[in-house]
Amino acid sequence: MKITLRMWILIILLVVSILSIFSFSTMFSGQGVVVKFVEKNSSIFENNLRQGMIITSINGNVTNTLAEYNSALSIFNDNSSHRLDIRTSTTQIVGIFEPNFRNQVLVSERSIINIKTGLDIQGGSRALIAAKDHKLTDSELNDLIALSQQRFNVFGLTDLSIRKASDMSGNNYMMIEIAGSSPKDLENLILQQGKFEGKLGNTTVFVGGVDIAHVERTGQSAGIIGCSAVSTGESCQFTFPISLTEEAAKRHADITSQIPLSTENPEYLSEKLDLYVDGVLMDSLFVSKDLKGKVTTQISIQGAGTGATRQDAITDAQANMKNLQTILITGSLPYKLEIVKLDTISPLLGKTFVKAIMIAGFFAIIAVSLIILARYRKIKISLALLVTSFSELILILGFAALIRWNLDLPSIAGIIATIGTGVDSQIVILDESRFKIASLKERIKKALFIIFTSFATAFVSLVPLTGALSIFGIGAAGAGLLKGFAVTTLIGISAGVFITRPAFADMIKQFSEE
Amino acid sequence: MEKITTSSEVPKRGLNETFNKHYKLILIIPIILLLSSIAYISYFYSQNNDFIHRDLSLTGGTTITVFSNVSLAELENALSDKIPNMEVRYLSDSSGNQNQIVIMTSQKPEEVIPTLENYFGFTLTEDNSSVEFTGSSLSESFYKQLGITVLIAFFWMAAVVFVIFAKKWRLKFLAIAINLLFGIFLGKMFFSFEIVISLIILLVFIAAIVFLYIKYSMPSFAVMFCAFADIIMTLAVVDLIGMKIAGAGIVAFLMLIGYSVDTDILLTTRILTRKENSINKEIFGAFKTGMTMTLTAISALAVALIFVRPFGTVLNQMFDIILIGLFFDIINTWLTNTVLLKWFIESKEKHNEEVRL
Repeated sequence: MKITLRMWILIILLVVSILSIFSFSTMFSGQGVVVKFVEKNSSIFENNLRQGMIITSINGNVTNTLAEYNSALSIFNDNSSHRLDIRTSTTQIVGIFEPNFRNQVLVSERSIINIKTGLDIQGGSRALIAAKDHKLTDSELNDLIALSQQRFNVFGLTDLSIRKASDMSGNNYMMIEIAGSSPKDLENLILQQGKFEGKLGNTTVFVGGVDIAHVERTGQSAGIIGCSAVSTGESCQFTFPISLTEEAAKRHADITSQIPLSTENPEYLSEKLDLYVDGVLMDSLFVSKDLKGKVTTQISIQGAGTGATRQDAITDAQANMKNLQTILITGSLPYKLEIVKLDTISPLLGKTFVKAIMIAGFFAIIAVSLIILARYRKIKISLALLVTSFSELILILGFAALIRWNLDLPSIAGIIATIGTGVDSQIVILDESRFKIASLKERIKKALFIIFTSFATAFVSLVPLTGALSIFGIGAAGAGLLKGFAVTTLIGISAGVFITRPAFADMIKQFSEE
Repeated sequence: MEKITTSSEVPKRGLNETFNKHYKLILIIPIILLLSSIAYISYFYSQNNDFIHRDLSLTGGTTITVFSNVSLAELENALSDKIPNMEVRYLSDSSGNQNQIVIMTSQKPEEVIPTLENYFGFTLTEDNSSVEFTGSSLSESFYKQLGITVLIAFFWMAAVVFVIFAKKWRLKFLAIAINLLFGIFLGKMFFSFEIVISLIILLVFIAAIVFLYIKYSMPSFAVMFCAFADIIMTLAVVDLIGMKIAGAGIVAFLMLIGYSVDTDILLTTRILTRKENSINKEIFGAFKTGMTMTLTAISALAVALIFVRPFGTVLNQMFDIILIGLFFDIINTWLTNTVLLKWFIESKEKHNEEVRL
């Protein structure tokens, strides 16, 4: 068979697609598990383990799979601290670590396939956030996204995507997607307005964000200071120091100078320093008489966490501390937020589902080839059709890998739709080429005309769904929740019409001429 | 050289003549189907005040999937008075064992989860459950937007067919302009006007478009009409079997437009560009090609559905809707569109002869 220009284009693009689908570096050098998350308040973080690093071995045990990684960490099963010698692809970290190392570091296996699946398949959380009783403007949305990004960063979560979304009625949303498991307090972290106020009586002394120069987050003076039994279980106190800005410190001095000492307890002022988070009283601190009228920048913030057991109480206190530190650093939003859509999908479904999709695809192809074989009774033609459909699939996946598109369920539906119309188009080419009346060239031209017309109708009917026309108010449907479907189908049918189907036509032309 | 005759075989002569004499009567079948579908949908609308049963992603509410094999009846008994508007169903794994329970309610997750945790006796985490929540205002606007998007897709699809098959450039530009304006009207203005005014403007647009197509490109109108009939008949069946439609289900209607138009375009092109073959011969050839196309699509979807169904994902609904639609597409392409085209071509030829005489 002579390889025509159209076939060469197809072959080259197929090679490019395969190169982008498979990660050859992982395939050949590909050892280790990749770090997805490192908790900021942890000793392993201070030892410079960072997200994105690749752990190749722990204490001499190779960690190429999650199972190997977990078994290497099973030394912590005795609940005591151990020495770890962690090798990453670039560095070595040696230190003594506590058993909760396993919660402070999250890893995942490196995949040789570069295709990412969507949250609805691999599991994860997605939230669509709007302002409560307030229409977010574009610039407010930008600010909100920047602030949220900062909050997540401070919190230690960086492997997430935050983007703008809007609907036809002009409502703006912030869409947050976190693949895999996410911290428990995520909802709280996103939603809280984060208004932190320190008040003496009714006077505000300082607020989070602007008045805070520095927040001490780790080290000796920040952490749990003690636990005690309460009626519901255990309660643990935490503390951490913050530094006020010069201005806030002066304000503090002015206000305290006017407050008399307490009559019952002359060591302290008569007013306590009340700490409010989003308008809720979190703690009240006694102010020592030494501080009266003094310009002091150092303030110690305290709070508590509770739980059924001591361990739960410690975890809760640590989480509260981290949360509080985060809002102290990042400041507050000028409006309240609400979650308008929240999905947390279990990753359990995903693994078996991907397998089922593969099997379904395989048998669907078999069914189609049987019909084609029954109709044309030519192995060669059936094979050409299969090869073409398969190349369409590879081109779509390759492109998805290249632009790092997350394949979610609607995208998979889109791929199936594309393959379906692809087979349809090839049948048109086959049948046109079998007519005797006009010249072969003319007949193929007619087939491509039919195919192009079908393509053009599909194209215009999909464009509104992509949100590309949202400036005309046309279909930014559901804040882009079905964009995946539209985009994959558009990519697929375009690749089909301009690349695979012309090549297929050339193949059939040669078969007919033979 | 191989013998290439398959597509140009002609049906028996007697059949041919009967067909030529009475073919217009065939239209009775799709017309009865279409009218009864419209009647049923109108009845459905009067009962439910909506064109479809919407699922929670389009009405607002929470869907929680828990990995558990407790009995549904027991769960319903225990919780129906604690969780308002609760609906439950189960999903099974590929070997047919029930392993997940789906609980749907109009409440918010934080209102339902404690009750469920209490009942199941464990904390719901990402490892044993999935939670999907959609607020009611978002789902309402999502639903409206999807409806508008399908409407626009439908008319733009028809516009492309008109642009390709109509003769004069002036008319093509006119069709594009009207459809762009129509799109902008639907997108930007439809929901901001009084609903009566919006509906009147909508009808004026549709009337203008239909008039343009019927007057200047009857085949384009036939394609549009068939896609319309596909959607309406499918919608009627979907309502009849009580399917609850999710956002992706509405998109399936959009996919349906694409599949349905494929065979119509094939048929139209074959007949309009026909040279010495008789219309019937072309129809028969196109029928063979088109049926192969539709049958491959139906069998691929049906086979895939067998493997995907146990997972209870939204793909099930999409495939179901497309399968129903493909079935009606066979009727609408090979009965409705074929007869309309043949009628149009014959009356045009007759007219041309009369002009010549």
